[in-house]
Amino acid sequence: MEKLLRNKKAIIIFVAPAFLLFTFVLFIPICQSIYYSLCSYDALTKPEFIGLENYKQLLFNDKTMRIALKNSMFFMIFSCVSQLIVGLLLAAFLTNIEKGRNFFKNVYYLPCVLSSAALGLLWMFIFSPKLGINQILATWGIEGPLWLMDVRGFINLPMKVIAFVALWQYVGQSMMLYMAQISGIDKSLYEAAYIDGATKPKAFLHVTLPLIRPMVATAMSLNCIGSLKFFDLVFNMTEAGPNHQTEVLATHLYTQGFKYFKYGYASAIGVVLLILCLIITFIINKYIKVDSYEM
Amino acid sequence: MKRKVLSVLLSTAMVASLLVGCGSGSTESASGSDSSAATESADTTEAASDTAAADSASGEVQEITWMFWDDLNATEDLISLGYKDVVDRFNADYEGVYHVTPVTTNLEEYYTKLNALVASGQTPDVFIVSPGPNLDAYVEPGVAADLTDYLKQDGWMDTFNGGEGAFSQQTYDGKIYAVPLNIAAACVFYNTEMFANAGIDTMPTDWDGMMDACQKLQDAGYTPLTISAGTAWCLSMLAGYLCDAEGVDLDAIDAGTAHWTDPNVVSATNKMLEISKYFQPTAAGDTNDVATANFYNEEAAMLIQGSWAIAQINGSNPDFESKCGVFAFPGTDGRVIAKSDSLAMSSTTEHPEAVIAFMKYFTDDTAQKYTAEVGGKIPVTTVEYDTSAAPAQLAYVMDVFSNAKSTFGFYNESLASTEAGSTFDDAMVSIYLGTPVEEGLQTIEDFYVNNVWQ
Amino acid sequence: MRCKNRKEDEDNMKKASIAKIAIYIFLILLAFIYLAPLVWMLFVSVKDNAEIFSSPFALPQRIQWENYTFAWTAGLLGKATLNSAIVCVVTLILSMIIGSMAAFAIARMRWKFAKLMMTYFMIGMMVPVHCVLIPLFKTFSAMGLYNSLLGLIIPYTTFSLPITIFIMTGFFENMPRELFEAACIDGCTIYKCFTTIALPLSKTGLFVTGLMSFVANWNELLLAMVFISDDTKKTLPVSLSKFVGPYNTNYVQMFAAIIIAIIPTVIVYCCFSNQIVDGLTAGAVKG
Repeated sequence: MEKLLRNKKAIIIFVAPAFLLFTFVLFIPICQSIYYSLCSYDALTKPEFIGLENYKQLLFNDKTMRIALKNSMFFMIFSCVSQLIVGLLLAAFLTNIEKGRNFFKNVYYLPCVLSSAALGLLWMFIFSPKLGINQILATWGIEGPLWLMDVRGFINLPMKVIAFVALWQYVGQSMMLYMAQISGIDKSLYEAAYIDGATKPKAFLHVTLPLIRPMVATAMSLNCIGSLKFFDLVFNMTEAGPNHQTEVLATHLYTQGFKYFKYGYASAIGVVLLILCLIITFIINKYIKVDSYEM
Repeated sequence: MKRKVLSVLLSTAMVASLLVGCGSGSTESASGSDSSAATESADTTEAASDTAAADSASGEVQEITWMFWDDLNATEDLISLGYKDVVDRFNADYEGVYHVTPVTTNLEEYYTKLNALVASGQTPDVFIVSPGPNLDAYVEPGVAADLTDYLKQDGWMDTFNGGEGAFSQQTYDGKIYAVPLNIAAACVFYNTEMFANAGIDTMPTDWDGMMDACQKLQDAGYTPLTISAGTAWCLSMLAGYLCDAEGVDLDAIDAGTAHWTDPNVVSATNKMLEISKYFQPTAAGDTNDVATANFYNEEAAMLIQGSWAIAQINGSNPDFESKCGVFAFPGTDGRVIAKSDSLAMSSTTEHPEAVIAFMKYFTDDTAQKYTAEVGGKIPVTTVEYDTSAAPAQLAYVMDVFSNAKSTFGFYNESLASTEAGSTFDDAMVSIYLGTPVEEGLQTIEDFYVNNVWQ
Repeated sequence: MRCKNRKEDEDNMKKASIAKIAIYIFLILLAFIYLAPLVWMLFVSVKDNAEIFSSPFALPQRIQWENYTFAWTAGLLGKATLNSAIVCVVTLILSMIIGSMAAFAIARMRWKFAKLMMTYFMIGMMVPVHCVLIPLFKTFSAMGLYNSLLGLIIPYTTFSLPITIFIMTGFFENMPRELFEAACIDGCTIYKCFTTIALPLSKTGLFVTGLMSFVANWNELLLAMVFISDDTKKTLPVSLSKFVGPYNTNYVQMFAAIIIAIIPTVIVYCCFSNQIVDGLTAGAVKG
């Protein structure tokens, strides 16, 4: 047995395809990106080494970067917390009802499988002042706000709207993960709790929650990384505007790299984004330990 | 087990078909290696038959690619549909000699994709480009080829309205790098019925007249002006006119001798805020399409747009054509914003003759007639077209254009770089949304300090 | 005493049923928020462009099916659907095979660098695709992978691997050791252990990962946009943007095309939604 599991040749055969793909499609390009981030490189000319100039500009001189960082952080924290709460709540509700459970579950999960680019377009329509919700509100005599254009406040309204849409789209994923975990809990634990006089909410708090902690960690780390990389919805709903107020890191990277063709500068943003992702994952792994996919 | 086998078979079949697809692609690019500088003969059709004879011997079709920013099949844009005709005619006339394949993306991703292709050494043989910083970006590193000699042969240049003057936006150091295809002018479209009902009988010619007309329209219960701040360039077109009217000198700004915080820019911006109280209430969030729809659905009296909007207006509400008038933006001292689609040739193309022949199809009489009669844009050549077939508004736009003392480009396409243009657009939108004027203009100034004046 | 108890029970019952009704009302309202936009999109897709702007919420005056035929023919959606299907299916199969192989080696085999290798793969989950787009594009076009579906399949497979490896490792680790020991005594090779024991037992896991990768790649836009320019090689999401013109957008036909594009995922989802849950649950019970 031991010998079988230490078969070096087999290990190489098993791991090689994945390893090679990763190296050629991810690792080497990342290294190239890191090199480009140290260059002045604008698509049509050759890269020219300029040291840390891009990073200096990015971190000390770029107002849009600050907005993007702020928005990305807001987005990450909001997604984490809201998906945790709403996802758990939905999971708890759905495990407690029998009739229509499948229907509701499928409906809430549905947007997860749809293209976020298409949904972004749809929501942009719905929140546009002339076509969407505001028209419905107007029939009741309420003047709706400029959902995607009102940029007052530290965290502006468009960002909140986008965060809401993201919650709408992705909460199904968390809900599914939690439901799967909850349905794996031994029923006798609940029976014991009810005999001890616990109400349902109490049982949820004291029995369910502690038992699904590993899944909470998994879902949270998926959420955090997903929301740092977040791009499609923002791009299609506001194009990071008005005046960069809804910029997030990925859109800033896209605009600089593919609209203004500052490949070097965009690569620097990419490296910052990568480092942030690594830090966040490290923190989550350290404090809410996730060893494996414990579902 | 059966299913497993099936899936494996299926996947191998797919991989195989992919590899085949791949292979055919590479042979395609390998073909057509002859790129001897064939001299242009007197007439395109003759050239066609000449090269046809030369090529039928070798039996090779010269394949070229043309990159364009709208899908030729899915579009409703009449100008794009006209381009599709050009492609079809070219491919039919030169069958067996030349063949052009359009490569299309939408405008949003156009330059992204074009630059990606250039960066990887696969520049399309012909590509469309807007004059201004976008064209600069291809001329400076030598991506676009010098077309002067081709234009001077066979009197091609003489067919253009104004001869060499037609190429002012495409000329760098006396060399022409792109061929304009049509011109669109930005004007004020208005609803004649509403103007009559509001008691306005003469079109405003200066700023006070404009404000006065807006007030009258508002008093008559109409929304005076529909505009889009959701699509930034629409608002910026208005801002561009106002800046120009205030005498903002972009060359001086580029040189660093004038500033974005100068009193004339401030005054232009204040005028924008002044007229903004006559916008439709949802202007801040409306997109370009919504703003234009407001106009042809007769919810607002005026629309400031480029003449490409004519097709959209008449297409969506055919009854409106008779009510729609056009006048020049007032108070600009006879200056009009004009924009032309231009074609550039890759400097690395292997088939320059094919490219030139293709370009000539865009500026021949058939195409230019279509431009005016159907597309509603101003032709670049001296072609005679049937004015009664053209949309009514085109005649008004032509009037505006021929009375113009001079033209200038779209503001966001006339600044130091594409990013500078976007910075200007964004600043104008944010000022409209409530950022104090000084603060908003300071962001453009800061951008120039950090990126332009170095 | 007994009497009081019964009363309490009744009260509790009442409370419980009120709570249940409240829950149902909440769930139904929420379901409305989920479905209304999609239904609205369906309505819009059979209107005409002028109608959207004049009365966005009204029922369509006349159902314009021609939007769909136009979208289908002008957008070359048939070809695009086929391309998407080829790319997604090949990617799905490749990522399942390659991913589970690597996961098996990491989860069950004994070697020094297993943990390190896992970390290496997990980094892939964090890399935003934008980061590697520029270098990847340069390499791929030099290799002639530009404008070929293979040029999409390779990066798609790579980006599907981390989640596949992540989930499959969990499945393999949770398999009882005795199974493999028994197989070993029977004289199975390690390859046999993998194909006849590990894989069949983790069918549900494979299913979930396969579905996740299918859905993600079906909707992927950025890579497809940059790597494909040939009309006959475009995938569905790229084809959707065909309806956005330079100065105006062809909304109704775009929405018709969107509906066409999402139908396959909705069908796949409707058919397999129970299996997804089963897959997740199976993993949970074992864990």
